[in-house]
Amino acid sequence: MNPVAQLARTPAAAIEWLNILLTTDDAEIGVTPKDVVWTHRRTTLYRYRSDQRTQPVPVLLVFALINRPHIFDLAKQNSFVEFLLDEGYDVFLLDWGEPGDEDADLGLDDYVCDALPWGIRETLLAAEEDEVTLLGWCIGGTLCAMHAALTPDSPARNLALLTTPIDTDGSLYAKWIRRDSFDAEQITDTYGSIPGPSIDFANKLMKPVTNYWSTYRQLWEGVLGGKDPRASYQPMAKWVADNPPFPARAFREWVTWMYKDNRLVDGRLRLRGERVDLSRIEQNLLVVTAGADHIAPPPGTRPLLDLVSSGDVTHFDRPGGHIGLMAGSKAREEIWPDIVEWLDGRSDR
Amino acid sequence: MGEGEERTAKAAEELVQSNAFGELLARATQNVMGLTKIGFDLMDLTVRNLRLAGKPDITRLAAQLARTEDKLERVLQEVERLQSEVAAGARQSGNSRDNGGAGGGRRSAKARSTNARGSRSTNGRSGARSKS
Repeated sequence: MNPVAQLARTPAAAIEWLNILLTTDDAEIGVTPKDVVWTHRRTTLYRYRSDQRTQPVPVLLVFALINRPHIFDLAKQNSFVEFLLDEGYDVFLLDWGEPGDEDADLGLDDYVCDALPWGIRETLLAAEEDEVTLLGWCIGGTLCAMHAALTPDSPARNLALLTTPIDTDGSLYAKWIRRDSFDAEQITDTYGSIPGPSIDFANKLMKPVTNYWSTYRQLWEGVLGGKDPRASYQPMAKWVADNPPFPARAFREWVTWMYKDNRLVDGRLRLRGERVDLSRIEQNLLVVTAGADHIAPPPGTRPLLDLVSSGDVTHFDRPGGHIGLMAGSKAREEIWPDIVEWLDGRSDR
Repeated sequence: MGEGEERTAKAAEELVQSNAFGELLARATQNVMGLTKIGFDLMDLTVRNLRLAGKPDITRLAAQLARTEDKLERVLQEVERLQSEVAAGARQSGNSRDNGGAGGGRRSAKARSTNARGSRSTNGRSGARSKS
């Protein structure tokens, strides 16, 4: 575009750019039809509607305690849920909801020893099956791994863990947190549930220029260049900005046990008195890491591959970021088919 | 990304990875938390002196409700377990009568679900359909 044409287009582009930013909240995300199967406190188990279920073993999606699980079902044509449904899977989603101050007493044990097994139980009842595939992402993956390690008779047949923190040595979070001056208890004494935006702020601070400048600059260039980036920008931006609170006890335990003390990988983490021993994991295991992941860097996930007792271990290490790997524009071609192919051979009766 | 932006991004990432930044962040967090707590305490004191229920009072009530829900969930699961045991027992004795031999076998989720579903009407359980 020549400079004069670009100058002439600038006012219209500015209005369009601003409009995209200001109407981000109107974007529809998580639209695949689903039914509520079970609720407990803030947790809800959903089952996605489908009339083409052919795979017997249902898939239970478990997301992190930060951000919402809509990322599994971001937008039409960019929905992992939709992809799984099209491949004949019976898909369930465990949504942790929006904890309030009254949930300050919820700890990691409540998620790993109660909510998750209860969700699995309800999944099996609804699907009328005896086994399930657990597909956890980020902290959700860690919770699934802890569950499998603590429950030798778990009905989980397959464990698929996406960009999951296991060993936090060397991570930027550990660098920030692993110091005396970072007082997790002071934070949890102040807030019953840690405000989501403050956690989001810390996440964005890891790549400040990319998150606070480049994103908006790229959007501007797209609009100025005559493209319509609304459909690609808004769903992701809405999801990124939707930050539920983190229950205080769970936050304190996560930060202290995982990042200050790095207990999980060393087998020093205990829930309800029982040691979380990752070597007790015997499920078919799929571990997916993303090369450019700065939140759960691959070196922090790989140790799991050597720790577990599973006879069937697969590792996909792909280029991409923590979220972009699974929800980016290339995910449909580059990673989802591989995950489904892995599941296909392990989901028969 | 232009070269300048790229260099700035790299420099910013190096900055946030430094020990000094980590220390600054931790101290700033402490200060913000300290100030927030003072603010919360002051607000709560004001509300309580007006003889109104403060946020901690409401939180305490909500926490009690949440604990009750925890207990209810455990009771429901126990009831469902007992129901399925009774049903399995009934099936086993029926099989014994029909076949003159031992029946039963593994108690599966299928068997449990057939039995338990009819009684599920509380605690937000099945029956709630929502398109979201």
